[in-house]
Amino acid sequence: MDPLLVTQALNVLYEVVTLAVIVLGLAIVFGLLGVMNLAHGEFIALGAYVAYVCQSLGLPYLAAVPAAIAACALLALPVERFLIRPLYDRPFDTLLATWGLSLFMRKAIEIGFGGGYKSLKIPVSDSVLVLGAPFPAYRVLLMALCAVLIAALLLWYRRSVAGARVKAMVGNRELAQAVGIRTDRLARDTFVVGLCFAGLAGVMVAPLVSVQPYMGLDYVLRSFFVLVVGGLGSPLGLLSGAAAIGGVESAMSALVDRTAGYSTVLLIAIFFLWRRPHGIFGRS
Amino acid sequence: MGSLAVRSAVLLLLLLALPLALGEYWAFQLGLFFLYAIAALGVALCWGQAGFLPLGQALFVGLAAYLSGAALIQWGEAWWVFLLLPFAALAAGALAFLLGLIIFRGRSESGPYFAIITLAISLLAFQVANSWNEVTGGYNGMKGIPGLPGLEGFSDVYYLAAVALACAVALCGWLVQAPLGTLWRAIALNERRVAYFGYDTAMLKAIAFGLSGVLAGIAGALYAPQQGLVTPELVGFALSADLVIWVAVGGRKRVLGPVLGVVLVGILSAELRERTYYWDLIVAAGFVFVVLYASGGIGALLAPLERLLPGRRKALEPLRAPAPKAPRTAVTLAIEGVSAAAGEVRILDRLSLAIARPGIYCLIGPNGAGKTSTFNMLTGELRAQAGEVRLDGDTLSKPTPYRLARRGVGRKFQIPSVFGELSIDENLRIALWSGRTSLLDWLRPAPRRWDTPVLAALRGRYPFLDDGARLASALSHGERQVLELSMALVTEPRLLLLDEPCAGLSGEETAQVMAVIRWARDTLGLSVVIIEHDMALVKQLAEHVFVLHQGRLLAEGDVAAIRSDPRVHEVYVGAAE
Amino acid sequence: MTTSPARRKFLIASAAGTALIGAPAFIRDAGAAKDFKIGMFYAIAGPAANLFGPTQKACAELAVEQINAKGGILGRRVQLLFANGDAAVADATKSAVRMLLEDKVDFFLGSHNSAVREALVATIKARVPYVYTPIYEGGECSPNTYVIADTPRQQMETVLPWLHKKAGYKSVYLIGNDYVWPQVTNKYAKGIFKKLGVNVLGEEYVPLGAPNKFEEAVTRIKGAGPGLVLITLVGGDNVNFNRTFAGFGLDKNILRVSSLLEENTLLGIGAESSSGLYGCMSYYSSVDTPAHRAFKAAYRKKYGDKAPILGLIGVDTYAGVKFVEAVVTKAKANTAAKVKSAANGITFASATGTMTMRNRHVDKDMYLAECKGTEFQIVETFSNVKSGQTCT
Repeated sequence: MDPLLVTQALNVLYEVVTLAVIVLGLAIVFGLLGVMNLAHGEFIALGAYVAYVCQSLGLPYLAAVPAAIAACALLALPVERFLIRPLYDRPFDTLLATWGLSLFMRKAIEIGFGGGYKSLKIPVSDSVLVLGAPFPAYRVLLMALCAVLIAALLLWYRRSVAGARVKAMVGNRELAQAVGIRTDRLARDTFVVGLCFAGLAGVMVAPLVSVQPYMGLDYVLRSFFVLVVGGLGSPLGLLSGAAAIGGVESAMSALVDRTAGYSTVLLIAIFFLWRRPHGIFGRS
Repeated sequence: MGSLAVRSAVLLLLLLALPLALGEYWAFQLGLFFLYAIAALGVALCWGQAGFLPLGQALFVGLAAYLSGAALIQWGEAWWVFLLLPFAALAAGALAFLLGLIIFRGRSESGPYFAIITLAISLLAFQVANSWNEVTGGYNGMKGIPGLPGLEGFSDVYYLAAVALACAVALCGWLVQAPLGTLWRAIALNERRVAYFGYDTAMLKAIAFGLSGVLAGIAGALYAPQQGLVTPELVGFALSADLVIWVAVGGRKRVLGPVLGVVLVGILSAELRERTYYWDLIVAAGFVFVVLYASGGIGALLAPLERLLPGRRKALEPLRAPAPKAPRTAVTLAIEGVSAAAGEVRILDRLSLAIARPGIYCLIGPNGAGKTSTFNMLTGELRAQAGEVRLDGDTLSKPTPYRLARRGVGRKFQIPSVFGELSIDENLRIALWSGRTSLLDWLRPAPRRWDTPVLAALRGRYPFLDDGARLASALSHGERQVLELSMALVTEPRLLLLDEPCAGLSGEETAQVMAVIRWARDTLGLSVVIIEHDMALVKQLAEHVFVLHQGRLLAEGDVAAIRSDPRVHEVYVGAAE
Repeated sequence: MTTSPARRKFLIASAAGTALIGAPAFIRDAGAAKDFKIGMFYAIAGPAANLFGPTQKACAELAVEQINAKGGILGRRVQLLFANGDAAVADATKSAVRMLLEDKVDFFLGSHNSAVREALVATIKARVPYVYTPIYEGGECSPNTYVIADTPRQQMETVLPWLHKKAGYKSVYLIGNDYVWPQVTNKYAKGIFKKLGVNVLGEEYVPLGAPNKFEEAVTRIKGAGPGLVLITLVGGDNVNFNRTFAGFGLDKNILRVSSLLEENTLLGIGAESSSGLYGCMSYYSSVDTPAHRAFKAAYRKKYGDKAPILGLIGVDTYAGVKFVEAVVTKAKANTAAKVKSAANGITFASATGTMTMRNRHVDKDMYLAECKGTEFQIVETFSNVKSGQTCT
């Protein structure tokens, strides 16, 4: 097979799979709980910066994973309590409040770490042969990890008791409360889990992107677009949205250039927001 | 509107005098912020009045700035280039209006999704501005824009900006008090209900969006000569975001709120941002605080001060309102074989009924028979899959509340849905204006003084309606039912759909309502269809009764006939199997 | 209309409010009017602040200290006033107006990107002389504006033919950010490539300030298979691209030249991605001249171990301040006409030696460096390379 084509295809696959993991946290928080969390990108950034700090301290890269999860969880708890919970039935105000939070976090990161970009050393720096074409090993590893993560999450959601409880709460909150599910706690835990996934995504992509205070903005917009196009509340929606947005952007970037890629993504998002806000697989 | 003119003049004088106190540099700085304040006024118009948040206003500022810059580069020497600037603003406004119309007609709610659409559009515009090197100069921007002829000094544009700001404040003050402002505020509270009164809410919102585009355009048109350079940054997210923050903190419901927000937060930021990095943190935290606890912003805190301002409102002399535009003939309604389903549940099953003469009709039936669904089907909430509905002989296809209202069909809901945060007077006015006003009427102050014999009679029957300034949310449940009924009657409909009008009323109140219904039928000659469970009421009111069962018409006739119909008995009491 | 008491109260209150807002204007420092004020725009806060800001400030202040030790400029103590050049254009403009109207600066010095430069030129309107110091694309001939920045001719005319002679590349791929400096630099380079008989296989631009990723671009380059890649990316994009490039293994066969590659950026790129990477600028911290050794000694003495890393963007402010001293001393004034006539042919100190100004640009020594790990190794020195600019 033409190695160039293989490389391009792998690029697209990489884009789609990493996008799915980046959106995962927001899919949980927005798709399940209906919370429009505009600070989602900042939690990804937080994960990336935690990875940077761990690497500066000389720790092995894997240490960043529990560190990032801890950092995000610690921050997510007060955010849920003071920002999200009072605004559960005011989606508009949630949007604004989380946006204010994202501004705050962005500035805090800038003050703490400075405005420039940080470079992380890639944990695994060789390349492997995939179908005859060399491809960076870390990216291959990442793709495999992401796929495993998403599959595990889907399985858990479908099979486990906790997953069933979450589905109940999402479907009919009062009824869930009536059968004894502590929806308050469950909502809080779901929210925290969603943000921890965001932090985890940050740790994963940090060595491959420019780690700087404004990195989150792009991620949160893209995540919203993925969910709008793919559909909220369903794993199929997440995957199809990531495939659509990531795939289109990567393909257009390969064919034309990055600006064309991003512009196409925006056009698709605008169309879906206007005409089919529940996306391809969302419930009407 | 004398007081408005006076207040604006005072503001203008203050603004013009500022440079004397502050010096040339502050005039330069303030000039730019006055422009931002004009754009912020547009955001407040959409958000504070009409209830939707545009997150991409910088698009219109930037568009007008590029147009204005291009015009100045091309014809900057000519004295008449001044006249081109308003066109740049109007172009931005036209784009906003068009976008608003397309978006609002395509979807019926204007919550967070609209905000994200506008954001996405402005991001797209940024991409275009950044890469279209031939037209916009790309990242480098449109350079070498000359100042306006005669206004080349640093602080000269300030005076122009001050005048523009005073005019913008006056315009917004006018709109807020005009019928258009009332309609916008009603839309923000309950858009569906406004549509039921026959208003094209998409058009109304698009007008708000278009006006905000014009305001943003004025800011952009003056930005180009003041800065001498227009870069894609202007179209980007940062300015749109700042506008929202300034409006939120300054207060979006008061006209001066955005101005306060821009001046206080914007100028403080500009001065303090370089002194302390923590300033941006403070602003972000303040914004979150405002969203959580103080949604009125600074403007709300200063509301008591407004009473000190000059201009008392004089008592308004009533004017005779024009007649409704809907046809005045008696309505005929024919429902033939209509079926509607939701999923697998058959809601309406080949329903056929007809109304040929004015009168009081009652629609009864056990729960789930499809009574409210019939109303929903008539006004378009429930899509019919089969059958036909003819109103006055014309087939009704794809009905919407708006279209039905225009043809003289009014509806009152079971749970009173008056506009709680508006006064009684404003509620009644909204009903009164429906079907009688055009766009121009919405801008004039005169329709606020309209009165009709029907309204006067209702005020006579229900004295509490006279206390016009009271908020509708302060009324008791019974009073709210009466208010809503009055609103429905004031539109002088030909067909009135009442869904349990006496629900939750005391015996005395029920009697009053029945009297009003009879009176309305006599004076207005309309057909009233009442969904009712209380048989006593049906007995007293109904001239003709329709009995629905499982989505079908089971029986019809006068009260006596129905009472003796065995099928009806079976349905209500149960069959002897 | 009579003035009601309430109305009067309102008017008085607003007048008081106005006075309060205006107070700062009066309280501003009225003393020290005799100081020679230089308004300096550099990266105080923003994406480049971490990279260049500390060095820019440190080098400028070192120059000022040295000048004041000798009695200042025309007997006046030199004072630096700072403003953020790494900000939105409107903010930079505002700072310039403040410096003109309120601080009444005598000279402007700018170390920032071209977009801000153009805005500042439009704002300053030649009221006060303005010297621009970092790398740029050439063509700045606005009145009362002086440039000591490296020009495309100085950068390209040196490294491209040298590499061609040494490595014999036959084709080249161009990639840069989408704004004036890369576009003009590439145009200039294409002229050189034509003369050398080198094929331009592709020319690609990515938006400035967007979170760009380079997988597709790198794959495209791999498919095209050039011998050399000319990189006119800046900042984070420069780092990202080079790391992606090496990550996909292209650094083994393809040479790279980066136009704006200084010490901080190289640190970001990292040793594992820098093999086969070249640059050509008028300053590297590893340049070895007597003047540079003296400069480094003075720099270390003033700032000790915590001294910000030396790099071109930063050290250029040192030369800028020295230029201001030299030209104003020779002109005995800072008015436009006198400065203009004094500037032609003037020689002034830089961190590595001296520079001479002609046509309001500077002919200077250029150094060609190869990246070894995270250090620059100077492999060739070109003396007194002409700027190629023809401003009158």
